[in-house]
Amino acid sequence: MSQQLNPHPKSLPQNEGGTSKRDDSPSLLVEEGAGGRGVKDRVVLKVDNLRIHYATPQGDVIAVSDISFNLYEGETLGLVGESGCGKSTTAYGILQLVQPPGYIVHGSIEVDGTEVLNLSEEELRKFRWTGLSLIPQGAMNSLNPTMRVKDQIIDVIESHEGKKRDKEAMRERIFELFQNVGLPNRIYNMYPHELSGGMKQRVCIAMGVALHPTVVIADEATSALDVVVQRIVAQTLIKVKDEIGVSLIVIGHDMGLLAQIVDRIAVMYAGKMVEIAPVENVYANPLHPYTQLLIDSIPSIKERKPLKITEGITHDPRNPPSGCIFRLRCPFAWDHCAEVEPPPINVEEKHVVACHLFDEQFEERRAHAYATTANP
Amino acid sequence: MGGISLNYLVRRLLVFFLTLWVAATLIFIIPRLAPGDPISAMVARLSYQAGFVENSDQIIEGWKERFGLNDPVYVQYLRYMGGLLQGDLGYAMARFPSTVTELVGRALPWTIGLVGLATAIFFIVGNLCGALLAWYKTPKLVKVLIPMSMVFTSIPPLLAGLLLAYVFGFLIPLFPLNYSYGFGLQPEFTIEFIANVIHHGFLPAMAIVLVTFGYWALGMRGMMVTIEGEDYMILAQAKGLKPFYVLYRYMIRNAILPQMTALAVTIGTLVNGVVLVEVIFNYNGMGTLIFTAIREQDFGLIQGTSFILIMTSALAVLIIDLSYPLIDPRISLEGR
Repeated sequence: MSQQLNPHPKSLPQNEGGTSKRDDSPSLLVEEGAGGRGVKDRVVLKVDNLRIHYATPQGDVIAVSDISFNLYEGETLGLVGESGCGKSTTAYGILQLVQPPGYIVHGSIEVDGTEVLNLSEEELRKFRWTGLSLIPQGAMNSLNPTMRVKDQIIDVIESHEGKKRDKEAMRERIFELFQNVGLPNRIYNMYPHELSGGMKQRVCIAMGVALHPTVVIADEATSALDVVVQRIVAQTLIKVKDEIGVSLIVIGHDMGLLAQIVDRIAVMYAGKMVEIAPVENVYANPLHPYTQLLIDSIPSIKERKPLKITEGITHDPRNPPSGCIFRLRCPFAWDHCAEVEPPPINVEEKHVVACHLFDEQFEERRAHAYATTANP
Repeated sequence: MGGISLNYLVRRLLVFFLTLWVAATLIFIIPRLAPGDPISAMVARLSYQAGFVENSDQIIEGWKERFGLNDPVYVQYLRYMGGLLQGDLGYAMARFPSTVTELVGRALPWTIGLVGLATAIFFIVGNLCGALLAWYKTPKLVKVLIPMSMVFTSIPPLLAGLLLAYVFGFLIPLFPLNYSYGFGLQPEFTIEFIANVIHHGFLPAMAIVLVTFGYWALGMRGMMVTIEGEDYMILAQAKGLKPFYVLYRYMIRNAILPQMTALAVTIGTLVNGVVLVEVIFNYNGMGTLIFTAIREQDFGLIQGTSFILIMTSALAVLIIDLSYPLIDPRISLEGR
């Protein structure tokens, strides 16, 4: 990532002191791709109270626990959290792709006013890729090894738009897609095993936007690539998104990379969405204690610091603790956290956090908590 | 796109001919390790049947001379190999003066037809059943019926043949139990004759299919389940492709590749089953020919038929080997 190569690492999140640089510090993180370019007020994806369980013989594992958020037209939303926090499951839930033993318990997913959960099987099939498309996690293995690249793009176009007689027009259309993502035309007739990892990922991006879907979900689309290719692919993703005008959800655990490309970030912990805010706020002014630890865990070249995020115990996902889900690991937890589940609190414009510290009645406690971390 | 280089083709053909040479040599050596010789055995059998054969010693000597059995072994070997190269498999001693080539020439097409048809049926039916067992949209009833029909897999082809012959040839005589085509018909390319051949070949083919397709179904099911867990299957679902298209283009197309390999390995053992099935149905193919050859202790014929069967199996494996690049684009037989 670029900031590691930057001789003046201003762009590194410098919050050694918890929230020592709250408010007015301007974001140095965002170089491009963020800042709400082209973001409109219209909600294209509305996820409401979505809950997904994985059934196990010992009881259900709560993978996604009653999360709600909106995605606006033209927006790029980052979904972050540690492994197993339910970010991919959320994405697959939105796409109706949760594999057994997982199942959606309740919730509502509206894309452009269409309730996805109410669609019949055939309606859902037709809705897929035109309403919601996926850029998959393991692009290495996400292409059918026995089909040519062109055939895998043609099949999705033809299964939604009907058989095309004009082969030449189809060819032109695919070349255009290739050009959008920076692929050479010569791969048209190739098989997936003849492409590099980065090329396969680009094929997946080209395929993902082939039908101009309303929302594209990129599930760890760059995780399997090296940092250079990762950056290039991420830029391609944003470029294509802007050109075609889709809304994008990017799932990842690489906070540095996400900072470069998203407009808003939603932080997930153990199936809950704990904080959602514009990208500048999350990096410059993380509010939820978990977000703070997460930001703090980004490796710095300035100093070697111990990893604090692993302190405390993780709970059993079958029996989540009462009250706040994070209280077992939270450095600021007190008895109130065990009693009441924190509601989402709108701290400032578009910045929502689910933590009791930001409840107005606990103002003093918050000031005290942050004072202790600021001066350890 | 995978292709085949000349280099690979030559190497593969060398292996093919090496196989044939080893087979021919073994077939030559093994009978000669046994005590006695075929001529004495045959004359002894004749004298046993007739009570007495006049000048039997002279007959034995004369025939040994005629078949060259008095020459040194290496001369016999060279003559034998030279004959093989010219397609001459010698005489069928028990049916002198018929040559082995002649008898095999009459029997081989029927066996190739029977085995080819049976293989095509059990491969297609077996893999289709396996695919349906694993597919999520298959009706429940089908998923119950297919495993039930697999009970036949545990019985040997011989018994399956007897069972079919008894039920459909004897109790309910739907199918003839004799020969590869009806008496009084001339082999020719008419619809009537072809229908007749299919009518005669149906039960023997079914005997082979019945005991074999279960293995293929189970193998295929296992592969399909593996494929279902692949990343590209999730993408196929997300793409909103039609379910049937996903089944054959994404699942079966990928799951069939190891099955093709298994087929190449199995072809040799298929012959075992065919011999007995042909005998049960009195089918005039290689199986019956081998069976009578063994019964009549006709060494020339046993050697000839064994060699031809080995050659056909090796040829079938060769063809499957060379067709790999066509079915799996990741395999290239081009030299590097």
